[in-house]
Amino acid sequence: MPGRQSRRSVLAAITALPLTGALGACSGNDSASARSGSSSKSGTKGTTTITFWSALRGSQQVVDAFNKTHDHIQVDFEQIPSGTQGGYLKLSNAARAGNAPDVATIEYPQLPGFAIDGVARDITSVISDELRAKLLPQSLGQTTFEKRTYSVPLDLEPMVLHYRKDLFDKFGFDVPTTWDEYAELARRVRRTGGGRRIATFPTDGMSQMAAWCWQAGAQWFDISKGAWNVSMADAPTRKVAAYWQRLIDEGLVYCNSSTSRLYDAQIGNGLVLTRLSGAWDAGAQMNARPEQKGKWRIAPLPQWTPGRPALGTHGGSTFAVTKDSKHPEAAMEFIEWQVAHPDALRARLSSGASSQYPAATGLIPVGRAAFDRSYYGGQDIYRLFEEEAHKIRDGWVWGPRMTATGYVMQDAFARAGAGSGTILSAMRAAQDGTMPDLKALGLTTTQHST
Amino acid sequence: MTATAHVRTAQAAPPQAADVSRRKAQRSAQRRRNGAAGVLMAPFFLLLLLVFLIPVGTAVWLSFFSDDQPGLGFGPERTVFVGLRSYAAVVTDPTFLSGLGTVGLYCVIYIPLMVIGSLALALLLDSGVVRLRSWAQLGLFLPHAVPGIIAALIWLYLYTPGISPVIEALGKADITVDFLGLHTTLPSIVNIALWSNLGYNMVVFYAALQAVPREVLEASVVDGAGPVRTALQVKAPLVRSSIVMVAMFTLIWALQLFTEPMLLHQSSQMINTRFSPSMYIYDAAFSRNNYSLAAAASVILLIITIAISYGVTRWTNRVEKAEEHAR
Repeated sequence: MPGRQSRRSVLAAITALPLTGALGACSGNDSASARSGSSSKSGTKGTTTITFWSALRGSQQVVDAFNKTHDHIQVDFEQIPSGTQGGYLKLSNAARAGNAPDVATIEYPQLPGFAIDGVARDITSVISDELRAKLLPQSLGQTTFEKRTYSVPLDLEPMVLHYRKDLFDKFGFDVPTTWDEYAELARRVRRTGGGRRIATFPTDGMSQMAAWCWQAGAQWFDISKGAWNVSMADAPTRKVAAYWQRLIDEGLVYCNSSTSRLYDAQIGNGLVLTRLSGAWDAGAQMNARPEQKGKWRIAPLPQWTPGRPALGTHGGSTFAVTKDSKHPEAAMEFIEWQVAHPDALRARLSSGASSQYPAATGLIPVGRAAFDRSYYGGQDIYRLFEEEAHKIRDGWVWGPRMTATGYVMQDAFARAGAGSGTILSAMRAAQDGTMPDLKALGLTTTQHST
Repeated sequence: MTATAHVRTAQAAPPQAADVSRRKAQRSAQRRRNGAAGVLMAPFFLLLLLVFLIPVGTAVWLSFFSDDQPGLGFGPERTVFVGLRSYAAVVTDPTFLSGLGTVGLYCVIYIPLMVIGSLALALLLDSGVVRLRSWAQLGLFLPHAVPGIIAALIWLYLYTPGISPVIEALGKADITVDFLGLHTTLPSIVNIALWSNLGYNMVVFYAALQAVPREVLEASVVDGAGPVRTALQVKAPLVRSSIVMVAMFTLIWALQLFTEPMLLHQSSQMINTRFSPSMYIYDAAFSRNNYSLAAAASVILLIITIAISYGVTRWTNRVEKAEEHAR
């Protein structure tokens, strides 16, 4: 009897083990999150400590500069991976667990999603009129939905044409001002031989495609009528899709990922003569390929109708106060300093070349003064950006699940590049792959397939 | 054992009390047996509850609810019962359906290759044609000991242009291959899965073949069957239950295809984030933050898996019965 008794108790103990282990783990987690929650509250007397997550280069320098000049607010910064590399996943998981940072960096396309999920807090009442006045209306328009503002724009990036001045001169090319001229130039570039092409159609380029369609007058998402109207193959989009499809079919552009080593080689070896990207890319290019110094210049993006110039943006970030922030006012003060104070921009630029076009236009002289023009042969690129920024079409809205929509689109772009499907069918696939998602989220939706 | 000992001592007792005490002893023995069975089976049921029933129940529950906001969705959230809305969304999602199609094609290619390949290897080993039998077994089995994620990493290295020695070597011989191209991704994934699991299933078949009575084989030899005929017409039918089991397990694993495409996805745009139903579920939950949709897709995948497993079992049972009748 005693033997059996002990055996039974041992068994009971063994079966109980995983359970207690699991319980232990749970309580451990709880106390950990409680601790991290309280740490943001505490600090030295009278000092509010807020947390800040960003993947943007130079954020540490900005935070250091802020902490040095501010006593009542101290910022605890964490560099996180860029959005698609897991940064957004980290943010939404943290928000789900109730410990998102006070301030998070969110790019324009992802903002509606984070606003809908309640991660980005409605900051309409805490954002000062003074700050509003400093920001370009087109940028604030991108962060305001149903008259409620969810984040503060840092930069607004008009899409521009980066081109190889040296090769243009060598072959006697003029800078194209319309898309027709651009297509014609594409043929001439191809004829020069040596594997040269005018551009690469980025198979991972949802944001580029969006910028082109935005410029042409497309409205993939529309919320003006109280529902999410999805129309990713509207007439302007079809025009853009057909345009690029023709360039691809005629073999006038490369068609591959713009984050691949293949693309790096295409740019590095001078096989691709133009890059269509945001203003920020000028600085990125300087950092990535210092050996091409002096070879590039920047021009306005070609237009569809020369008399009525329009433009879309490519890139750009915003700062949101999250729902978990215990100090929204302090968070807002930090954000305001970050986007509108000259020292913040100077600190950001100290980490390396940057050509971001600040949404707070008062900072443009600071950016211009700090920018080393020698890479672009002395060209005053900021003046160009300034002219271009005003052409940005108002009223563009990103979707509620833009990352996912973009993935479906890009997968289909890649297949189109491999000869299966077209750019237009990719747009339709993106819409078809987005609708079920929006419906399952309980959003009111309508859609147009033409 | 203890129970019979008790019964014996009870029999030795005086006859009048014997009946009562015997019954008592029987009852207590019964109770003890039940108790022992309960204790021994408790871990199983506990784990079943913890790692299967509770998660499935949670998924089913999640799939019927959603954190909704009216209109454009910018208002405050509230959890509401949404009925089959998420299920409707999943079954009308072309990306989910194409994932199902992909896995269907994968099963059609992979399962026959796996079953035939591992059976053929087991028959070869069993026939004694192969020298160094234990070494061959070890070599074939070893890949199974490599965790799936590591295996996928190894193959990712071998498949990625620019770093792969295989592609480089083939390139030197003027052969260009893109293992991660439009039409080659699925074969590439099948290749990884075969490499990982062939040896394991071969061991299962080999063990089953060991149980085939030697006299049956001797009889077949006496009847004049050569080694090939013996293998195909005597041995293979005798391990049919193992074949069904291997096919079933392979099918269930194949329907949950996840690790390999998830990792290869980093290197090829041809493998998208919703490549298989499992990847769709992962993407819905963690990239689209749509837990209700993910839960509905999980339940659908579970139902499909159960339905197919049940169908296969029923079918093989019927075939077996029909054959018995024929005999």
